[in-house]
Amino acid sequence: MSDQDDIVREFLTESYDNLDQLDRDLVSLEKDTRNKDCLARIFRTIHTIKGTCGFFGFGKLEALTHVGENLLSKLRDGVLFLTPTLTTALLAMVDAVRQLLDDIEKTGQEGARDNTSLQAKLTDLLNPDGDDAPAAIVAEPEPIHEYRERKPIGETLIEAGAVKAEDVQAALSLQAAGDPRHVGEILVEQHALNPQDLVQSLKAQQDAPTSQLSESNIRVDVGLLDKLMNLVGELVLARNQILQYTATQKDTNFLSTSQRLNLITTELQEGVMKTRMQPIGNIWSRFPRVVRDLATMCGKQVRIEMEGKETELDKTIIEAIKDPLTHVVRNSVDHGIEGADLRVSRGKPAEGCLRLRAFHEGGQVNIEITDDGGGIDPARIKKKALERGLITRDQAERMSDRECVQLIFLPGFSTAEKISNISGRGVGMDVVKTNIEKIGGAIDVQSQYGKGTTLKIKIPLTLAIIPALIVTSGGDRYAIPQVNLLELVRLAGDQVKGAIERIHGAPVYRLRGRLLPLVYLNKALNVESCVKATEEGTINIVVLQADDRQFGLVVDGINDTEEIVVKPLGKQLKGIPLFAGATIMGDGKVALILDVMGVAQMGGIISEIRDRGLGDLASRSQEIRSDRQSLLIFGIGRSLRMAIPLSLVARLEELPATSIEMADQREVVQYRGQIMPLIRLGGVLGVGDDGTPKELLQVVVYSEGGRSVGLVVDRILDIVETPSEMQRQGGRNGILGSTVIQQRVTDLLDVPGIIRTQEPEFFGSKI
Amino acid sequence: MKALVIDDSRAMRVILGGMLKQLGFEVADAENGRVGLDRLRSMEQIDIVLVDWNMPEMNGYEFLVNMRAERKYDEVRIMMVTTETEMSQMQKALSSGANEYVMKPFTREVIQEKLEMLGVVVHQAA
Repeated sequence: MSDQDDIVREFLTESYDNLDQLDRDLVSLEKDTRNKDCLARIFRTIHTIKGTCGFFGFGKLEALTHVGENLLSKLRDGVLFLTPTLTTALLAMVDAVRQLLDDIEKTGQEGARDNTSLQAKLTDLLNPDGDDAPAAIVAEPEPIHEYRERKPIGETLIEAGAVKAEDVQAALSLQAAGDPRHVGEILVEQHALNPQDLVQSLKAQQDAPTSQLSESNIRVDVGLLDKLMNLVGELVLARNQILQYTATQKDTNFLSTSQRLNLITTELQEGVMKTRMQPIGNIWSRFPRVVRDLATMCGKQVRIEMEGKETELDKTIIEAIKDPLTHVVRNSVDHGIEGADLRVSRGKPAEGCLRLRAFHEGGQVNIEITDDGGGIDPARIKKKALERGLITRDQAERMSDRECVQLIFLPGFSTAEKISNISGRGVGMDVVKTNIEKIGGAIDVQSQYGKGTTLKIKIPLTLAIIPALIVTSGGDRYAIPQVNLLELVRLAGDQVKGAIERIHGAPVYRLRGRLLPLVYLNKALNVESCVKATEEGTINIVVLQADDRQFGLVVDGINDTEEIVVKPLGKQLKGIPLFAGATIMGDGKVALILDVMGVAQMGGIISEIRDRGLGDLASRSQEIRSDRQSLLIFGIGRSLRMAIPLSLVARLEELPATSIEMADQREVVQYRGQIMPLIRLGGVLGVGDDGTPKELLQVVVYSEGGRSVGLVVDRILDIVETPSEMQRQGGRNGILGSTVIQQRVTDLLDVPGIIRTQEPEFFGSKI
Repeated sequence: MKALVIDDSRAMRVILGGMLKQLGFEVADAENGRVGLDRLRSMEQIDIVLVDWNMPEMNGYEFLVNMRAERKYDEVRIMMVTTETEMSQMQKALSSGANEYVMKPFTREVIQEKLEMLGVVVHQAA
């Protein structure tokens, strides 16, 4: 009987909604036990379920809600007073009701669950005996006071045409000046208003419906919304196709029509996306209950605060972050917030505070979960990570506290010393991180030991339609999600020559003094570049952000940014890490969407996703063992690679060639209020410069005893950490020896030696 | 014939509305007493109001008192829909102008019988 099924479904939806509200109400009721509205709502929910389930013959549900209702009615009437025991029992009842509803939803039957012991317990609580009984309070009969926001009488009168707007204004200013009479009274006394009209308007004012909200909302099947979203996606694609066709047309009628189509499609798209938006409060609403249960179980006191409940997110994203968020919240209560005694001894209030905050920023949603608990102890994290072999002793020593805290995101990490039944079940923060990243989000943790921890999560608003940059490589087009895009660099003409250098065999581009590793898209894709003479033509670099690294993606051409509709990949392509999806372009052809993380991995920019947090550390530690030092690598002349210990470098400066002055036949510059002599290393070492006239000089500043000297080099190449063993001792003047760094022979400069020969006075009387 | 169903539970409105439609009624509904009064005043013709007891904003009893205060609805029958819990207060409702009550859960036959007793529905031989 499908009618019956529909009604049952209606009953289930309604009950679930009401129970969610009830959870919240029960928890807030515990704080404010006299909140009559809350109690009335709770009572009504159970009452309604009980009243309705009789129609379907759900006997167990009826029996359970019957006891619950009795208990609640005693609370409502003030015969019983809410205690933590009572709240726990009521919450248990709500859970049992939920289970029954779940069973009904799945099987259509109530199932074999037995709630008799719970019912017995609830019945016991109904009749508190003697001393244990919480003192009954006498119900204070309160008149049912209904608060309504009323329309001002003046407005009602004007609307009814009974009075002129000026007269009302005059009466209002009288009132403002201290006249104690009502507006209506003033108007009548001034003969501006007929008393009968006043009576009528007052009545109208009273009867006016206060809210239309309940009638302006309808429920829509999610499947229908998904279908609409898909259709809008198709419409966006068709619109893009028409726009592309429009570009070649001259017919003004057609042009204006397609313009209209464009606008309407955009609006429709926004509208449909909005229907899929849900406030984050929908998933937060279960947290007060989660926190309460957990806190009770751990013997802690925790208050939960929420800000930005109304922040909206796409439905699919809401669903995707539900579990990770719950996990984080549980973690904060279980591991973060200390027990009351410890808190008090640390000078904190006994009740811990967990704060959830959500807000929109830069097209993304930010969620912060902050607790004022014990914070993360970097030392303990290190110890744990060492024990589990997640890091080496070397790495541990070199790690900053901030890096340490990030270790919690490593797979297989759990710091709970006690394995409670709450956390420490093997599902760790790594899963949270993976889940957040799966939807294009990012998670970060900041912690102050002793003060508390903040987890920051950034997630995109929607996944279905995203702005993307369209690029070409090997004759095909690819889409790059705009969120990963930092900037575009186009090198043409003279800029091309020597722009791309090689370090460690890997191509890099020097972007505003930073070395930007490059990935050639055509090489990554293994296709022929269509631009034959890249050297002579132009180079297009798309600067991208992958995790915490930046890299440049070299492409054949950069087309445009476009709103693209993300379509899932067929299973043949699904395994390829380079692609995140596909889309259909304006001309009807398919373009693949690049997965920036995948590209970065393939290009060796970042290592395996799983240990990305540690990738940097791990790769470095494999190169280096014991006593290592940091070296600054620079180029002199056409081919000479030299290094000096970074510890000798005070600063690296770029000085304009025009700033050089001559003093005593030597080149000097004014630097930080001093005269700083310059030493051109190319000249000193007899290799000359690299032959290119420079407007900017690369200067390595060496300081000692408050004085500085500038070493002019041709190129700053890199900073590396290497073992400090020397391969070949001695050699030319000014060179300590040679070593192999990054598979290339590199000379180690004897800085004091050079300075001594060039600037004998620099070291003063010591020489 | 026109009926107004006032209940805060959507499921109950569907159940009761469905039964009344089978009995040949045109059914309007409202989710609480206050909205019920508005709905009532907007209706040109009304034969019977079925009203739940426990509702937010304005409960069934308050609705009853408000409706009975308006003389033009003197002829309109009011049936209180109730549960066991509220039976103790039913006497109060009946003396305030309710014509009949029905206890949840009920069947269509029970409703039909009660409506026949009130003379809203003409008795039909089965």
